[in-house]
Amino acid sequence: MTPPEYSLRLRDVVVRYGSKPPVIAGVSVDVGVGEIVGLIGASGAGKSTLLRSVQRLVQPESGEIWLDGTELTRLPPRELRGARRRIGMIFQDHALVGRLTVMENVLAGTLGRTGFWKSVRRRFDPADVDEAFGLLDRVGLSGLEDQRCDALSGGQKQRVGIARALIQHPDVLLVDEPTASLDPATSVRIMTLITEVCRERGLAAVINLHNVPLARRFCPRILGLVEGRVVFDGPPSALDDVVLERVYGAEAIEQRHGAGDVDGV
Amino acid sequence: MAPAMSTVSDARVGWRPPPRIANAWTRRALWIGAAAYAIVAAVTLDVDAARVAEGLTRAGSFFGGWLRPDFVTRWGDIRTGILESLAMAAVATVAGVLIAVPLGLAAARNLAAAPVYAAARGVLAVSRAFHEIIVAIFFVAMFGFGPFAGVVTLVVGSVGFLGKLLAEAVEEIDPAPLDALATAGATWASRVAFGVLPQVMPRVLGLALYRLDINFRESAVIGLVGAGGIGATLTTAFARYEFESVSAILILIISMVFAAEVISGRLRKALL
Repeated sequence: MTPPEYSLRLRDVVVRYGSKPPVIAGVSVDVGVGEIVGLIGASGAGKSTLLRSVQRLVQPESGEIWLDGTELTRLPPRELRGARRRIGMIFQDHALVGRLTVMENVLAGTLGRTGFWKSVRRRFDPADVDEAFGLLDRVGLSGLEDQRCDALSGGQKQRVGIARALIQHPDVLLVDEPTASLDPATSVRIMTLITEVCRERGLAAVINLHNVPLARRFCPRILGLVEGRVVFDGPPSALDDVVLERVYGAEAIEQRHGAGDVDGV
Repeated sequence: MAPAMSTVSDARVGWRPPPRIANAWTRRALWIGAAAYAIVAAVTLDVDAARVAEGLTRAGSFFGGWLRPDFVTRWGDIRTGILESLAMAAVATVAGVLIAVPLGLAAARNLAAAPVYAAARGVLAVSRAFHEIIVAIFFVAMFGFGPFAGVVTLVVGSVGFLGKLLAEAVEEIDPAPLDALATAGATWASRVAFGVLPQVMPRVLGLALYRLDINFRESAVIGLVGAGGIGATLTTAFARYEFESVSAILILIISMVFAAEVISGRLRKALL
């Protein structure tokens, strides 16, 4: 087999909840190896659903999702677990278990390869524990391994989430609104960290962002999603007012010219 | 009042919350019906003045005995009864938790498949269908007099109580960590162990401590129908008209329940 040119390929993906109109109405996207893609769109445009459908947290109604040579939408449960390990996910609300320690939350990322009883008794593979300590150093949480996660700040929690995703040894990162609950300075730091680790490890990433300036700054390629369809696919330089108006509606543009920012549209 | 008030329309000044039952006649009919039923019910109770008077005289000797609690005469029986009740409560609570945790997980809509959910809810409903006294009568008939029938009764009660409340706690957990564990490729069992149990552990501990308290008190009640424990000692004392011993037993039960309250409060504070 020739080395894969693309990490992730979506073909005509449709997702529908019940009998309502589809949330994702036929999305086809190719994400290259090591490519960082920003996904922008108004609330309800389907950004989160699209990421969740790749991990099959929601089941696509039709279409194909390819991870290298594996088609994900019809994988049986055991193979699906194997494929999920290769896709790291970082969540908007960090999705940590608050009552567990930082270390336990990071090592939860190894549950796909750690036996059940070993994990219950917290007898993790020493190599994994060693790697977890290294990752905590990398994301800037050295020394906090025994803190309970509900005692951390928002930015620190998101760093734990990043370490948990990386310890899976993923090929692709799916990042769902990583800065939604963070202040502007922390948002920039978290986005810097995510894009840096992607470059270090050659990871492809799809990052949902509400915040257009952040997307422009950190993502070499941007997708605009409206009502479950991709209406824009290009570099930040091509993301002009006409496109933004299509993605967010006219009010966003007024606000942009008024306040100089479309933060939180 | 300021004269300006008179310009405000009456509907705003006299605002009241809308009644729960909109129709005024329905409302009045319900009140009248409830009052009539209360009167009829009181009449059918057939209160006999002579018997009340007799009961009051007997109550006098009860209270007389209760003012002079006697721990000494029947101390051997009382001690055995208390220790038996404590053992019954402890064993029943531990067994109850061990059975209720898997059942509670199976009875949580967000974790279990529909048929498993329905089956587990059914088991929990059956185990709560009858009062402990009725369950105890049944088990005493099955296993004979003594604490074993009592323990089985308390286990049934504990499973129904803990299982139902645990299932509700599991249904209220934050689902996001479960998604995160799924995306790491974790199996169902690992997701429960890492994503569910840590979130419901404080609740399980609190409920178990509360149930221990209930089981101790229940053990005094089901002893009345022959299921062992301090209740058996209590019935014997009543049957012998030894109200001084009855008083001693009741004082002990009250102090044990108080002690349990203090200890469980401390444990909760230390562990959560």
